[in-house]
Amino acid sequence: MNGIALSLPDICGMGLYFRIDGFRVIFAVVTAYMWMMTTLFSREYLSHSKHTGRYYRFLLITLAAMLGIFLSDDLFTTFIFFEIMSMASYVCVIHEEKKDALEAGTVYLAVAVIGGMVTLMGMFMLYHVTGTLKFDELLPACQKIFAVRSLWLYVSGGCILFGFGAKAGMYPLHVWLPIAHPAAPAPASALLSGIITKSGIFGVIVVSTRVFLHDGYWGSVILIFGVVTMLCGGVLAVFSVDLKRTLACSSMSQLGFIFVGIGMQGLLGEENALAVRGTMLHMFNHSNLKLVLFIAAGVVVMNIHKLDLNDIQGFGRKKPLLMYTFLMGSLGIGGIPLFNGYISKTLIHESIVEYIELLKEGHGATTFAAVSGENAALLFKVIEWLFIITGAMTVAYMTKLFVALFVEKNRDAKLQEAFDARKNYCTKLTAVVLAVTATVLPVMGVFPYMTLDKLADMGQGFMFGESPHHAVNYFSWTNLKGGAYSIVIGALIYVVIIRGWMLKKEKSGAIVYINRWPKHLGLLELVYYPVVKVVLPEVLGFLCRCMDIIMDGCILLARKTTHRQLYAQKPVPKEYGLAVAMGSVCNTMVGWLNRTVLRKHPSEKDYILKFAEMKYTLKRANRMISASISFSLFMFSIGMIVVVLYLFLA
Amino acid sequence: MNHYYLLFPVFLPVLAGILLLLIPFKDRKKMLLLTSLILAVNLACALWVFVQPEQEMSLTYITSSLHLYFKVDMLSKIFLLLISFIWLMAALAAFEYMLHERDERRFFGFYLIVEGVLTALCFSGNLFTMYVFYELMTLTSVPLVMHTMDHEAVMAGLKYLFYSIGGAFMVLFGFFVFTAQGNDLYFTPGGVLNNAEPSAVTLAAVFLMILGFGTKAGMFPLHGWLPTAHPVAPAPASAVLSGIITKAGVLGIIRSVYYIAGPDLIRGTWVQYAWIGLSLVTVIMGSMLAYKENVLKKRLAYSTVSQVSYVLFGLSMLHPVAFVGALMHVVFHALVKNTLFISAGAIIYKTGKTKVDQLRAIGKEMPMVMRCFTVASLTLVGIPPTSAFVSKWLLATGALEADIPVFSWLGPVILLVSAILTAGYLLSISIKGFFPGEDYNDSITEKKEPSWMMLVPLAVMAVLSVVFGIWPTGLENLMKDGIALPVLLMGGGSLCSLFL
Repeated sequence: MNGIALSLPDICGMGLYFRIDGFRVIFAVVTAYMWMMTTLFSREYLSHSKHTGRYYRFLLITLAAMLGIFLSDDLFTTFIFFEIMSMASYVCVIHEEKKDALEAGTVYLAVAVIGGMVTLMGMFMLYHVTGTLKFDELLPACQKIFAVRSLWLYVSGGCILFGFGAKAGMYPLHVWLPIAHPAAPAPASALLSGIITKSGIFGVIVVSTRVFLHDGYWGSVILIFGVVTMLCGGVLAVFSVDLKRTLACSSMSQLGFIFVGIGMQGLLGEENALAVRGTMLHMFNHSNLKLVLFIAAGVVVMNIHKLDLNDIQGFGRKKPLLMYTFLMGSLGIGGIPLFNGYISKTLIHESIVEYIELLKEGHGATTFAAVSGENAALLFKVIEWLFIITGAMTVAYMTKLFVALFVEKNRDAKLQEAFDARKNYCTKLTAVVLAVTATVLPVMGVFPYMTLDKLADMGQGFMFGESPHHAVNYFSWTNLKGGAYSIVIGALIYVVIIRGWMLKKEKSGAIVYINRWPKHLGLLELVYYPVVKVVLPEVLGFLCRCMDIIMDGCILLARKTTHRQLYAQKPVPKEYGLAVAMGSVCNTMVGWLNRTVLRKHPSEKDYILKFAEMKYTLKRANRMISASISFSLFMFSIGMIVVVLYLFLA
Repeated sequence: MNHYYLLFPVFLPVLAGILLLLIPFKDRKKMLLLTSLILAVNLACALWVFVQPEQEMSLTYITSSLHLYFKVDMLSKIFLLLISFIWLMAALAAFEYMLHERDERRFFGFYLIVEGVLTALCFSGNLFTMYVFYELMTLTSVPLVMHTMDHEAVMAGLKYLFYSIGGAFMVLFGFFVFTAQGNDLYFTPGGVLNNAEPSAVTLAAVFLMILGFGTKAGMFPLHGWLPTAHPVAPAPASAVLSGIITKAGVLGIIRSVYYIAGPDLIRGTWVQYAWIGLSLVTVIMGSMLAYKENVLKKRLAYSTVSQVSYVLFGLSMLHPVAFVGALMHVVFHALVKNTLFISAGAIIYKTGKTKVDQLRAIGKEMPMVMRCFTVASLTLVGIPPTSAFVSKWLLATGALEADIPVFSWLGPVILLVSAILTAGYLLSISIKGFFPGEDYNDSITEKKEPSWMMLVPLAVMAVLSVVFGIWPTGLENLMKDGIALPVLLMGGGSLCSLFL
């Protein structure tokens, strides 16, 4: 292996291992870049916020943990930093402490903790069968034992996928994503969506290339999850009428694209150059895109503190810089040719096409031996079209956002005037951040051979990808066709579904966006809350409570039946005879002493009273002891031991 | 050769404690100074014993077969060091906490006596000696539980007493059986019973011993005293009860299974399976009930039930890696639980709040306390890089390597489910404490931080619980070479390969 390595053996028990190679350099740099840009933006965004010290403190911890993840060379190391990152980023998510932010944060934390624990289980199992978690030792170890322990490996891989997938917004663990992003402060949303989700992707890539390298079955599992995630995210985003929620669902959808790429690189096996490069570049591009879009959204929120499209409608009019920024981001994420998103989407798309060709020729179909080549090819044709349709949905929902923000006028004319009058909507520093981050996107899209291809060459070694036999011509007709389909279908979706169904025109000509999504239709409300909040604690809790009282219950039963306490039925007579007798003797003695020895300091205690009091205390304590449940346990134990002894001796 | 100096750390606190009970100290400061001095001297003694080689001392023969006998091995040393350290830390916190309780003199008197008894318990070299001091520990610690002497406390103290005595009788049964079979019950790594084919009675006796010592360790079904005794005892007493006294039960189980019966005797028998089953049931039950509990100290008590059974689970695997994990969890849980209970004590002492749902914004009132509380919570959940993560890692990998059908994978699964519940019942307190919500008015909060006497132990233990997580190797090697290998390799040499 190349690159610079650092090992810290014995730290945390198993040792920490780091390495720097092309892939890791790229993502470490992206992380640092995003942190710098968002922090510059935070200065203005959080200028009126409380607890900024706390925010920055945890932001820095998160940064350190993120770098730890991307530089790790050992699954154990990855996991340690992954957990630190999950915990630290929680504080950034709930920074504003609004009610829904706290709720979203709880879901975020719950998913993180549960995901983390399931991943840990997967790592226990993986470590048990392979004896190592270092990346470069893991692959040979897994290949050696794959034949005998494949079930074990698949289960452990599934567990690891669960945790990392949850962080990467994989369906059905995406529930935290659409609620946590809108609740977090915009700079934190940018990080959350742009790079923190990528740490989950990093883990999935590690499992896919170090445990299941070129394994078709694993690839198809990831592919299926990817397709569902991508579609689900797209649909949710089209329905959403909330600026940041749309962007969050868009993140989910784009992460689905990345999952598709990872799945394809597993399916394609040795010939996965396109899929590897596409996956990597889409990770890279999506980070940049979401940085731009969330900062632009942050500028809107910062000014009017609202997120609903009907409230922010028309805010962007006559604000060229904001419009430029948002346009670059929208075009990029929509996969429009000459923008960066197009390049990576094309690569992933091409990898699907390539696999269809392979299936038709009968190669590479080992995974789908059950279905004949033609049928499998048809299946992948469907996947290809789903891919294009999701791309089209991206175009549609970005158009919806763009039109609402920058084209339409607010239905409240006075508000629109106020919007138009607001020229100083951000500081110079923020303006610079917006301009710089947005300009990067088209530059990469226009010169892909000089920028993105070079990055792909640098990073593909991490996923064991090789450069394709002939360079991909991004601007050839076949490739442009895919983009064109997306744009055309996207336009159709926008015009027919969004304009036709999801908004209504008021008499004055103003446009109102309507949330057409059924109110309670969501995995969180329908499945997770009932299961986690009601079923599990109540059912399991009831069982546990039964076990808890089993012993005390037995004792109580014994008290009511075999060890019934008799005195409880009648009042105990007050007898202080002994106390009186002993006390009067003592009193006499003390009186005698007082007259002789203690003449100067006579004792004036009444011993009758003292003894009576002692007797009373004793009696009370006795009653407590014999009335206690535990006394019965005591008797019970004696009884049991006598029985056992008897059995033993007899 | 007799090393009579071993008596010093036993008798010093006991005598000092008795002195404290008898002499009415008028000056509170002098009393506290004396107490802390004794505890510090004892910690120094523990350190000194720690660096010495293994030593033994014959105290007296009560009859020809009942021998009071001390022997110091690595297990004793580690427990002794842990006990002396925690005892000092909890005492510092108690100095402030006890200000609002009556009868301080009695509390500190018994507090010192219990430490001496525990020291003797660690030193015990045979089962008889251990039994004697085990019972003494129960008796001397009862006054700590029923300190407040109201009706509830007395009842709880009695419940504690009788559960413990019930457990001890089960141990006694094992003692009788083994002695009747003609064994010398001196602690020997790998056990002294050499039955290749143990009879049903022998197995039953071992099981009863596990159950009996398990009572102190809060193992189902005899865990009932824990959630009753903890909430009524003063916080420093709950801290040591939960952190240390439950561990005396663990020590008892280690001694009886690994040093008397021998791990090979019960490996693969119903005793082992029943033991694993009971410990796993306890783990999940404790966490679940803690999750549903609203009284803070009771919640922590249920948490103890669950966490100590992590240790028992590790021991029940009869595998060196899990064994080391269990021992490390003993240390880490003691640190963490003391931090948590002392934090709870600080909250009760300063604000009088005992219920979890009253603790909104507590992090604003007592930030340092709640920071320590949060670090300890994260440790208990097992979030890396804190210490309990390391012990959990060892427990789970050890369980998988032990290769016991079903339990090998079910065990780690249950440990992790319990960890999730732990996050649920501990982190929720910190979250509510630090993030009360937007509508919370900061200006009404006044700082209620306790003085340094409480903060220092909290901070020290919280920091240690993280430091041990980052650099666990020294402790791990100590336990592996000093305890796990001698104990587990006497019988089966094949396990040796696991460590290479």
